[in-house]
Amino acid sequence: MPSLLLVVFVLQVVIHLVNTVGAPVINEFLWMLWNKLPYSSTSSDVRLQTKRRRELVGLKQELSATSAQDQFAKWARLDRQYSRMQAEYDTKANDLKDNRASFDRIASFLRWGGTNGLRFFLQFWFAKRPMFWIPRGWAPWYVEWILAFARAPRGSVSIQMWFVACATVVQLVGQAVAAGVVLVGERQQGMGQRREKVAMGAGQGGRDRGKGDEKKEL
Amino acid sequence: MSAAIDADAEDLEPTLESIINQKTLRWIFVGGKGGVGKTTTSCSLAIQLARVRKSVLLISTDPAHNLSDAFAQKFGKEARLIDGFTNLSAMEIDPNGSIQDLLKEGGEGAEELMAQTGGMGSMMQDLAFSIPGVDEAMSFAEVLKQVKSLSYETIIFDTAPTGHTLRFLQFPTVMEKALAKISQLSTQFGPMLNSVIGARGGLPGGQNLDEIIAKMESLRETIAEVNTQFKNADMTTFVCVCIPEFLSLYETERMIQELSSYQIDTHAIVVNQLLFPKKSNDCEQCNARRKMQKKYLEQIEELYDEFNVVKMPLLVEEVRGKEKLESFSEMLVKPYEPPE
Repeated sequence: MPSLLLVVFVLQVVIHLVNTVGAPVINEFLWMLWNKLPYSSTSSDVRLQTKRRRELVGLKQELSATSAQDQFAKWARLDRQYSRMQAEYDTKANDLKDNRASFDRIASFLRWGGTNGLRFFLQFWFAKRPMFWIPRGWAPWYVEWILAFARAPRGSVSIQMWFVACATVVQLVGQAVAAGVVLVGERQQGMGQRREKVAMGAGQGGRDRGKGDEKKEL
Repeated sequence: MSAAIDADAEDLEPTLESIINQKTLRWIFVGGKGGVGKTTTSCSLAIQLARVRKSVLLISTDPAHNLSDAFAQKFGKEARLIDGFTNLSAMEIDPNGSIQDLLKEGGEGAEELMAQTGGMGSMMQDLAFSIPGVDEAMSFAEVLKQVKSLSYETIIFDTAPTGHTLRFLQFPTVMEKALAKISQLSTQFGPMLNSVIGARGGLPGGQNLDEIIAKMESLRETIAEVNTQFKNADMTTFVCVCIPEFLSLYETERMIQELSSYQIDTHAIVVNQLLFPKKSNDCEQCNARRKMQKKYLEQIEELYDEFNVVKMPLLVEEVRGKEKLESFSEMLVKPYEPPE
């Protein structure tokens, strides 16, 4: 059993990540993964649907390339085929949408259970457990009271407070990392542009030199 | 010119003989875009059928009634023998006849029903009008009931231009849905309504809600029966009438697709108003038009290879009156021989 302190911290990091990335993105990603699995119930449907869509687009192009006035028979046949396929595609799309909805529901439920649900459970289960003790007389009594909020013994830090502390730190670090990423990204972009210019110059020079060599050989 | 057409001879004969000889046929619909000659075709078909059947009824559901015009005789909502025939009758019904109209003149079932619901009438009307197409469907259902009680061997419908027709053919479905909804409502609110009505001293005529519902159920059964008949290719067929022009062809194709989605059989197309100019003529307009018609005719024959494609010429005179219709109708069974 890893230390509870660490578990709480990691959980808070996960919650933060989920919140920053966003639930729809995660669901989308999971759905994609699910359909990539060879034995999942929907993967073949999704593949078929993609194929159908491609065929539909092809048919539509062919249909618009065929003149209804000059080649009515061909046009009508294509149109029949197109409407038949369109109907098929629509029913399948609806089925898939239903599947997707239930998948989303399950995924959301599991995600909630793994993050906030787990947090509530831990907060409830270890409410009376002191996370760690602070030296006696280190803080005034009201601070001790707040740190032990709500049910941990006086003089210790409660799991509630540890969660709050972790959340604050994770958020601060998260912001710092985000800002850092933006900064580095901008700098790299700037440098990239400069390097490109240099490379272009070098390339032209090289080519010129190459031509010169060829001429000499001739 | 004629050689080109005759060369296109296919497996299926270019006549409507298969329909005329199919003795099991009970309902024949004739439909197409406006102005292509539906009425002329349906009258001609009726005349041909009357020669081999015991009794034939021709019904026009087109709001712009043309039967009276074609036969130069007034027809109404009651079936009437056409002058000069002993087994061919005609009637004209208005598909847009609203429910009130139906209440006044329609069959006894609905009339009684509405008269006796009294205060419920307006509610029923609201209910009925809230479902699109149901008023038409009701009037049509009444006509069908009437027609069923009269013993005609074959009934030909001269339908309204495409949109109306398809709505008509859809009606059993619409009606079934509507009535299912009404029965559901009545099972849910029936007890409540009954107590309200009971407090008022009951419905006029001493009826109660259950009886009305029972009547509606019987109407629904009639409809379901007609529905199965319409979907039976042995009993019902649809004759598409078109002219060799793009829009008419387009509408025909759409109609055939929709008919197949309603599972209604169709295997005959009448191509009307064909020009057959003499070879030695120098009417530029006629020849150009003939060329265009030939193009579409070829497309029709290519696309509808499982259909009887009947080619009818454009005459120099209007096809009106019994004699002209009779001579025109000959061309439905004997392919027209264009002059050289």
